[in-house]
Amino acid sequence: MKIMIVEDDCSIAEELKGLLLHNGYEVLILRDFKNSLNEIVTNNPDLVLLDINIPDINGEVLLKNLREVSSIPVIMVTSSNSEIDEALSISYGADDFITKPYNPTILLLRISAVLRRTLSSSHLLKYGDLIINTHKGTIRHHDEEMILTKNEMIILTSLINHANRIVTRDELMTELWNSEEYINDNALTVNISRLRSKLKDFGYEDLITTRKGQGYILS
Amino acid sequence: MRLIDYIKDHLFIIIFTFISYLMILMVLIALKTSLYGIFLITAIIIIIPVSILSFDYYRKKTFYKELLLNVSRLDEAYLVLEMLEKPQFYEGEMIYDALYDINKSMVENVKREKDKLKDYRDYIEMWIHEVKLPLASLILSISNQNYDNQKLRLQIKRLEDSIDRVLYYVRSDNAENDYLIKKVSLSKVIKDVIVKNMDDLLINQIKLQVMNTDFEIYTDSKWLEFIINQIISNSIKYRKGNDSYIKIDATKRNDVIELMIEDNGIGIENSEIRQVFDKTFTGSNGRGNHASTGMGLYIVKNLIQKLGHKIRIESEVMKYTRVIISFSINDHFLRY
Repeated sequence: MKIMIVEDDCSIAEELKGLLLHNGYEVLILRDFKNSLNEIVTNNPDLVLLDINIPDINGEVLLKNLREVSSIPVIMVTSSNSEIDEALSISYGADDFITKPYNPTILLLRISAVLRRTLSSSHLLKYGDLIINTHKGTIRHHDEEMILTKNEMIILTSLINHANRIVTRDELMTELWNSEEYINDNALTVNISRLRSKLKDFGYEDLITTRKGQGYILS
Repeated sequence: MRLIDYIKDHLFIIIFTFISYLMILMVLIALKTSLYGIFLITAIIIIIPVSILSFDYYRKKTFYKELLLNVSRLDEAYLVLEMLEKPQFYEGEMIYDALYDINKSMVENVKREKDKLKDYRDYIEMWIHEVKLPLASLILSISNQNYDNQKLRLQIKRLEDSIDRVLYYVRSDNAENDYLIKKVSLSKVIKDVIVKNMDDLLINQIKLQVMNTDFEIYTDSKWLEFIINQIISNSIKYRKGNDSYIKIDATKRNDVIELMIEDNGIGIENSEIRQVFDKTFTGSNGRGNHASTGMGLYIVKNLIQKLGHKIRIESEVMKYTRVIISFSINDHFLRY
């Protein structure tokens, strides 16, 4: 997945690049604002993170021009916390709108939600022999099927989506809270051990490994 | 302008005319004019000044009466000239012209001040957007370092809240309306605020109970987010040691949806509860251990009023504080 960052604040662009790379995305940073539209179209990214306040052209105008030639998913990013800007961006064809400063985990969730929506990717997640059905809330191993609770589902999909790196408790917590599951630290621990014991029944006893002081990773 | 006042004002002319009349009368008697002649001249001398004065009284009265009536009736008295016709006598014209000039200079003055205020406000808004950039960069940077950063994030959240308070203070005192009313999911706004406050709630082990908030309301979601964030921040700030909770619930009665945010914090003194929305009011809680500027709820109240919603607070010291916001489906229609 290739994401293009259109952002004139260099330090934000660099940090954002770091965050996205860390999460397995390919990243392009737009440098030549004079030819923004051309740059975007020729690079043909899967998603554009577009700041409203950029040099030479207003982000909303750029979005409008972009929409005349392409339907690349666009998330508008701005430090202006205003409903009017949001409504305008959406009416010009933005897929989402997020205000600075944003929570990085939330930004990642929004990005994957937009990508999922536009690519209409399947609701089936695979990891090894395990097939997770996010619609039904079940996990399948060969012929056996088991029901996961909402919390367990959120935790497991998050771990699978970031299978190549450590997922911090913070991130898990943010994802859970973002799904209106306002659990505390102890409950998270309980949820993870319940999930572990369910996976154990499928013979995946050590699937979720704890990295002390850091978080969890799939092994 | 009453007749008696007018006569008093013109007493000089009347007395002078009367004296002139007496003198003419003496001359007429000295000249041995006939009684008939004296009567005729007397009549002329009375009729002429009386009719002059009556005419003068009438046109002045029309103008001044209009002027005073409009001044007292208009909400904005300075608009009075728009309601008046230019008078047809010299004195009135002078007043009219002077009023016009005074008014013009006042309007110019007010315009200058308004422009200055607008420049000032624009700069603050711009500055706020500016200052959010390093903040955004900082948050990303912290998240890219892999260590426990909850405490750093908490401090950044404090900064962000402070900055937002300035932003919404500027917006709430703004005569122009830069908000947008549309259909908003109440539960989504609440969720966004709660996620923002996650670190604070977890660190302080505050139990969160969110009941049914699945309602659609008409409001500006960004403004409402600020309002709810302010209330929840207060609940966190004025918590009471252990076993703290925040309960959020919403109910619908007829066309009114009521959002209730309740905590079991230190509460508010009965004598102070009516003042909590006043500008810079800090009360005994604020004066205690908590840094308080008394601006948060003042801004909240202003925003609520602009949006056309209602807010009230119920509390008992050391027991609970309950903030209730009511949204009516017709809120913003009723305002106009």
